[in-house]
Amino acid sequence: MIQSTGLKRWLHAVLLVGLSAVAGVSHPATLSIGYSDWPGWVAWQVAIDKGWLKDAGLDVKFEWFDYSASMDAFAAGKIDADLMTNGDALVTGAGGARNLMILVTDYSNGNDMIVARPGIKSLKDLKGKKVGIEIGLVEHLLLTDGLKKAGMTPADVTLVNAKTNETPQVLASGQVDAIGAWQPNSGMAIKALPGSRPIYTSAQAPGLIYDVLAVNPASFAAHRADYAKLLKVWDHVVGYIADPKTQPDALKIMSARVGLSPEQYKPLLDGTHLIGVTEAKGVFRKTTGLDSLYGSSNNADDFNVKNAVYKSPQNLDGYIYPALTMAQP
Amino acid sequence: MQVLRPLTARARFVFGVLSVLLPLLIWCTVSYVPAVWHPQVMITNPGSVSYLDIGAHMSREAFDGEVADAKAEGRAVPQGIRANPVYLPSPGAVLKAFYTSFKTPPETKDGQWLHQSLWHSIQIIFWGFLISSVFGVPLGILCGAYAAVARVNESFVEFARYLPAPAFGALAVAILGIYDGPKIAIIVIGTFFQQVLIIANTTRKLDPALLEAALTLGTKSRQLLTRVVIPGILPDLYRDQRILLGWAWTYLIVAELIGTTSGITWFITQQARYQHFPNVYAGIAMIGIIGLGTDMVLALVGRRLFSWERSLAKSA
Repeated sequence: MIQSTGLKRWLHAVLLVGLSAVAGVSHPATLSIGYSDWPGWVAWQVAIDKGWLKDAGLDVKFEWFDYSASMDAFAAGKIDADLMTNGDALVTGAGGARNLMILVTDYSNGNDMIVARPGIKSLKDLKGKKVGIEIGLVEHLLLTDGLKKAGMTPADVTLVNAKTNETPQVLASGQVDAIGAWQPNSGMAIKALPGSRPIYTSAQAPGLIYDVLAVNPASFAAHRADYAKLLKVWDHVVGYIADPKTQPDALKIMSARVGLSPEQYKPLLDGTHLIGVTEAKGVFRKTTGLDSLYGSSNNADDFNVKNAVYKSPQNLDGYIYPALTMAQP
Repeated sequence: MQVLRPLTARARFVFGVLSVLLPLLIWCTVSYVPAVWHPQVMITNPGSVSYLDIGAHMSREAFDGEVADAKAEGRAVPQGIRANPVYLPSPGAVLKAFYTSFKTPPETKDGQWLHQSLWHSIQIIFWGFLISSVFGVPLGILCGAYAAVARVNESFVEFARYLPAPAFGALAVAILGIYDGPKIAIIVIGTFFQQVLIIANTTRKLDPALLEAALTLGTKSRQLLTRVVIPGILPDLYRDQRILLGWAWTYLIVAELIGTTSGITWFITQQARYQHFPNVYAGIAMIGIIGLGTDMVLALVGRRLFSWERSLAKSA
């Protein structure tokens, strides 16, 4: 018997080694969170590099993804939480991956832009012109919002579906008159075509796009206390980045994550308005304006339904979870 | 230049060197001789034009327009030199990027050196190709040897080989998780179906005279497969595998974007996002060099293993 258990154990070990070699299984942390290349999310690198997660008694692994791949992984239930925009949280949820927005990291404050070629100075000049944009995504929402404010309708421009990553080349090609993109692509587009300029940015519509931590409800129920600790760590990060004394160190860590210099990263950070816990309490209040996550998500929901991203309006109360933030001192 | 006439050793060498030098020469000409292309101007002095920065690129027409305007109004004239778009870096810039990217330490504490990323990618390819071969090679041989097996399998395989492997990314993540599993799966899906068909075809091309001779000598049906068919096709099978390995590499970039971003793809896509194109081309060159290097080694090994096969000696 002893021999046979020994053999079994040996086989088991071999199988395990083989499998982990194939699947790359590493030690599973209690919580795994997906993050990608956006200043409000790269900010978490500060907490990771400084060891603040461990200090808070958390066993959290942040996994770096391409943005859309991170949503795929979340939808498949392979990660506990993912950093995404509030609009995309609704899209992911409508597709079947229910999620709770428990934490607001930031809103875009200028990083999202409609960039027009030289000669076009305002949205009004875009009438009858072509705009390269990733249809159904946030820049499409930004453009729709801007056109409305300029007294125009979406029908006044022709949309050309373009991958956000490729918008700098698309604008430089001269085959469209404007593009919509977020940083770093929007900045690259301006650089690639001198004389081009942003004609509408998220700084003119603060709160149109919030970025949130969307959590799998089952994971949230099981690890509620851990998520509360995570909130405290985030508040620490926001304070560290806001403080002029420590900001250079934060910029160094963040820029290193994406392969830029701190000077190059500064404008990207400036176009993002990070939200600490105190401010988040205001954002979680239920009002209809864009200064509320409810108002902003409602706007995104309307846009998603109108553009057939999904069919029926989502029940926002099932998504937005203010209690954790509100319970903070 | 006669049809199917082998080259002399000297000619082989000269033409081999040329095949490397010619593309490089074209690249150098386009990069270093401004008259060839250089459709843009890189600004060296913005003059009085407020929106220009040093290092910015703009089209020659727009630049000439600004110069004319400035002259007409008596303002400071912008200056610049002719340049290619940033998407086409010069060979020198790429060579430098190639060197520095290996010497640059990982940016973050949990980051990896470039050689570690490359090694990770090589492992993905290795496992993907191995798993595909473990199933694909035997199935391919069986399809080639037995018409019944071929009829049962090949319609589906023919259908499946047109399916876009990357489209299975989300499904692969759902089943295999976010690490290496789904990436390997994409390589397998991309390689396997082609592998079955190619190897089945190779098996069918076995000289029928060998089979007849074996049957005349009283070989039994099963022995026919193990003693005649498999040894008979081995050199060709080996060459097929070399080609298929290259095939597997072409799926690497899409595969590594699935799940957590890793390997050489992380390097290439991140550098492309911030338009550091010399680094991007250096990354592409690394893949090419590893691919070519492996193939040359395999060719050398093949010549040792199958010394009786003249077509191998020629092709290698």
